[in-house]
Amino acid sequence: MKFWGVRLLSFVLAFGFVYGLDVVTQTAFPNLYRLAVLAGLYVTLAVSLNLINGITGQFSIGHAAFYMIGAYAAGFVSQHMYASQPLGPVLWLVVMMAVGAVFAAIAGIVVGLPSLRLRGDYLAIVTLGFGEIMRIVVQNVDPLGGAYGLNVKPFGEPPKILWLVWLLAVLCIAVCRNLLKTSHGLPFIAVREDEVASAAMGVKTSSVKVTAFVIGSAFAGAAGALLAHSETFISPDTFKMDVSFIILTMVVLGGTGSITGSIMAAVALFAIPEWLRTMQVMIPGSSIVAGILAVGIMVSGFRWVQNNYHESVSKRIGAYLACVVGAAVAAVVLSFVLAFIPQLAQQRLDVAMLRMVIFSMVLIILMLLRPQGVFAHHEFSWDWLSKVLRARKGVTA
Amino acid sequence: MNLVAGLDFSILPQQLANGLLLGAIYALIALGYTMVYGVLRLINFAHGEVFMLGSYAALFTSWALGFTPEALKNGAEKPSSWMVLALMLVVSMVVCGLIGVVIERLAYRPMRNQPRIASLITAIGVSLFLQYAGGLFLPQSPPPAISEQVNPYRKDSDNVRLTLKDAPAALKAQAKLLDAEAGKAEAAYRASEQQDPPGHTTAATEDLRQKYQTLERSAQKVEGEVNGQSVKLNIPFGQLIMLITTIVLMLILRHIVMYTRTGRAMRAVSHDFDSASLMGIDVNNVVTVTFLIGSALAGAGAMMYATFLRTNLTPFLGVTPGVKAFVAAVLGGIGNIPGAALGGILMGVVETLVIWLGFSGYKDAVAFVVLIAVLLFRPGGLLGSSKVEKV
Amino acid sequence: MRNNLVGKSILIAAGLAMGLLGGCKTTETGNGSPAPDTKSGSNTSSSTPARPSPKSDGNAISDPIKIGLVVSLNGDLKPWGDDSFKGATLAVDEINKAGGIDGKKVMLMPGDSNSSPEAGKSAAQKLIADGAVGLLGEVSSGITQQIANVAFDAGVPVIAIGATKTDITAVGDNIFRVCYTDDFQGPVMAKFAYEELKLRNVALMTDNKQPYSQYLSKSFRAAFEKLGGKVIHEEFYESKQTQFAGQIENLKSKNPDGVFLSGYFNEVGPIVNQMRQAGLKVPVFGGDGWDSSELLTSGGEAIVGGYFCNHYNSKEDRPEVKEFLSKWMARYHAEPGTTMGALSYDAAMLMMKSIEKAMKANGTKSRDVTKAIEDTENYPGVTGNITLKGQGGNPRKPALVVEVTKNGFVWRKSYKPEEIEN
Repeated sequence: MKFWGVRLLSFVLAFGFVYGLDVVTQTAFPNLYRLAVLAGLYVTLAVSLNLINGITGQFSIGHAAFYMIGAYAAGFVSQHMYASQPLGPVLWLVVMMAVGAVFAAIAGIVVGLPSLRLRGDYLAIVTLGFGEIMRIVVQNVDPLGGAYGLNVKPFGEPPKILWLVWLLAVLCIAVCRNLLKTSHGLPFIAVREDEVASAAMGVKTSSVKVTAFVIGSAFAGAAGALLAHSETFISPDTFKMDVSFIILTMVVLGGTGSITGSIMAAVALFAIPEWLRTMQVMIPGSSIVAGILAVGIMVSGFRWVQNNYHESVSKRIGAYLACVVGAAVAAVVLSFVLAFIPQLAQQRLDVAMLRMVIFSMVLIILMLLRPQGVFAHHEFSWDWLSKVLRARKGVTA
Repeated sequence: MNLVAGLDFSILPQQLANGLLLGAIYALIALGYTMVYGVLRLINFAHGEVFMLGSYAALFTSWALGFTPEALKNGAEKPSSWMVLALMLVVSMVVCGLIGVVIERLAYRPMRNQPRIASLITAIGVSLFLQYAGGLFLPQSPPPAISEQVNPYRKDSDNVRLTLKDAPAALKAQAKLLDAEAGKAEAAYRASEQQDPPGHTTAATEDLRQKYQTLERSAQKVEGEVNGQSVKLNIPFGQLIMLITTIVLMLILRHIVMYTRTGRAMRAVSHDFDSASLMGIDVNNVVTVTFLIGSALAGAGAMMYATFLRTNLTPFLGVTPGVKAFVAAVLGGIGNIPGAALGGILMGVVETLVIWLGFSGYKDAVAFVVLIAVLLFRPGGLLGSSKVEKV
Repeated sequence: MRNNLVGKSILIAAGLAMGLLGGCKTTETGNGSPAPDTKSGSNTSSSTPARPSPKSDGNAISDPIKIGLVVSLNGDLKPWGDDSFKGATLAVDEINKAGGIDGKKVMLMPGDSNSSPEAGKSAAQKLIADGAVGLLGEVSSGITQQIANVAFDAGVPVIAIGATKTDITAVGDNIFRVCYTDDFQGPVMAKFAYEELKLRNVALMTDNKQPYSQYLSKSFRAAFEKLGGKVIHEEFYESKQTQFAGQIENLKSKNPDGVFLSGYFNEVGPIVNQMRQAGLKVPVFGGDGWDSSELLTSGGEAIVGGYFCNHYNSKEDRPEVKEFLSKWMARYHAEPGTTMGALSYDAAMLMMKSIEKAMKANGTKSRDVTKAIEDTENYPGVTGNITLKGQGGNPRKPALVVEVTKNGFVWRKSYKPEEIEN
């Protein structure tokens, strides 16, 4: 019975962790509460998409559609049925998560089926199109609030559900991790590595692909249900194509197939724009252009060092530092030069308004410098880190 | 049955024509997607933003030529000519071509040997960057104001008209008479209005206005009857120019791809990237040329989109046509040039037919449904089989 | 240092205990009253339902006085966001130049809602956390809904700039707006169309992506049918579309007396152009989304003779309007792009006047500002006299119907709320 003991212990630990997180956030950082909720949802979304894209190797770029279906299904049911049933809020939320997950899973089957015939970019466009279809349908259906959106306030006040959100995230992580670490996951990885070969080896590729879609979309749907209740308002705008792209970016940036990578990338990519929102410094347009150019110079310098400068670690770090210093100097010089262009110099902009520009630059730069994602296929662990660091010491490029 | 009963078949020919004109625009933008995909197997998400920059290039060219909003407001309206339009078209194409090449050089080339999804994310990043950086520095603006002569909507007489079935002559004569009377009444009213002090309306003007409105209403009623009894085809002049330009550009493109050295190299690279480079083809050069041509086509589309279709310019303008064109490219079989043209036109026609059926609220959704249905039966798109030469 | 740490850990422990208790035995507060989804039909009801009060007193009036502004500085709504930003900046700079409020400078803190409700919520939360004593915000009803939700929890008053959806102010008694509602605007245009233009069979064209347009169409349809007219057809499009030939051909075949275009000017211009070009020459009319200096450029001659409902008219004689326009021209060297410039100016001014009033009455918190806003009576705004006392957050202001002429927009008729409500 050791097996169940471990299970129980890990469950208790997970529950303790998320509950502690909730309480600490509520008391110590109340301003960050909602952001922590959203970050948890993004973690769930990224990890569940990672199951489809990273682990099974399918190409879905419409994950927001499942998120949306879960949110609308749960929101609609909740709004109309909460009053006429005996469950308390917490249990009700769990039921709603199930509702969101079921609806999204059905959608997952619908989208997963074409994946049996389609590959790569064609599958991508189908998933993207599915998202658009859902958005348009919601816009046209009055009971769902049309283009305006749906109020979801069954409890009156927005419930404090950070712990539930992170519990879902932990559950999602656990499912994906166990899939990777046990024999159940091997077919998924086999399909990713070579579909034809794995079919030849007796892997039921179609059921594997559909399963990946169903599990992935069910988690996204459950996340949607929680979003609807914690935000108390959802609208088609909440699930724009950009959201799908951002989730996809989280997966790729973290390293396709790496669960820890997805988690960290999700938190980081969610936090960057929110952190930039707090920057309130006015700078002239000329400096912005100079800054963008200087970053470009720095990145090309980095790339040059990466590819052509195979010296010892300390020398390479020196070279990287030289790039940074050079870029800083270039930024200063350029902003003086560009200040002579009146149109640029007169335009003063808040850094907070630049957040999407900075966000997109971070994206491009990270991809240029580390295209396989921060963690590539690996999982983050201290062993892995020390191995990487040790490998770095070796001169080989 | 109810569905069919409510339909007005007399407007079907016109609707099909509308669909064709709409599809031509999609097709032109789709070509850029499909060419890049054919050579690099990369969905160039930034293509829509190149398109957006092209419309701004056209706008700034028109400003540089003296057609600024202020100049037009002050009444000093310059006669616009075909030369002006041609210049705008060329500038827009050149600017877009260069931007496309620069994007390829800076963002896509370093990703060449990396997983394709990484280049896709880079493309998304570039697209977001151009949108939001454009939002910082580019103005919101009404469309280039040069097209008094070729504007498709100003001059009724320039439209191409075909009458398939005519209304009774007596009715038409009556409509014409009433229309003339209403026109006279309107002229009188507007003249009187011009003499009023700004912000006020005198009783005389008010009286004229009432008279004009009564006449106008009866004229419309008869006009409506005429419309109901006839079947007509009406193609706006500006859109005809667009259609012709699109066809000419496509023919040129086809010539380049099929009958020149560069084109042959492009086809070779599209067929097998690595073998082509082993055979001594300068792959980098081919990719650059592909981006140059594809983006220049987007530039041409952008200039016409802004000028002939009178679209207000914003830095976020490229998103919607970009997505539609991408769908069109996939529908036709991405990587296939005739496929992009076919996919674009099919998308336009389907969209218009859905509107005709009375589901205008769902038109974009139906476009995607058609796409998915087609892909299920032909997973490579309509013309995407290996028999057709890919570029 | 150590003390601080101990204090914090005690706080956390207490919170943990309370959280556990609260989490397990959650009492059912306010059993799922479905949010009022009054779409249309009801005219502006003169009896305002009781609105809940926020529990929190909100932020303190600090020095400098902080006012948050949530607008879309990016995305689809950028034109309106930019104008709102300009209007509020103009108002705040004016007050600061005159010495501020009671000697304290006003600090306008902008937050970008990026045309999405989620980002709007984040921005509002951040501004409140930064100490904004009141919020100005949003043109879009969806985003305003989220701002209102946040502000209600925090007890900070909101003055919405251009959110016309009726039930947004029902969130709480700290939510106000300076514009009229869709339930007023739709009937105004219905009445105008029925009585002045004498139209009977009208077709609608709705922007299906914009809640504003959807609601306006619905309220217009209900009011017009109540008056005895008939809505014979409705076509849909999505913002940013440029080709409307298909929809127009359908409208033409239905032979309407007039077409009500409830969308924004970006699309209305091209639509009317293409309508005229396709030979459909019936009168066109719409809501305040038409108001823009760009309407004439994108609509050209075709739009001349169209009518729309507006908050004010730049050619009005009222001193407020003239003063506002001259200030705006002096600062930005162009007329306001949209009506949001004036509305935002009014919202900012109203907020600052209310803060001043609250400070004079020794108020120190957001709640006092809320009270001062609620007490507004006959505030002479650019967009008309604003009275908020006992109105449930929705000002009673007249609406103007203006005609588009070659020389700009000309006043045709004004409707007072009383005329519409009967």
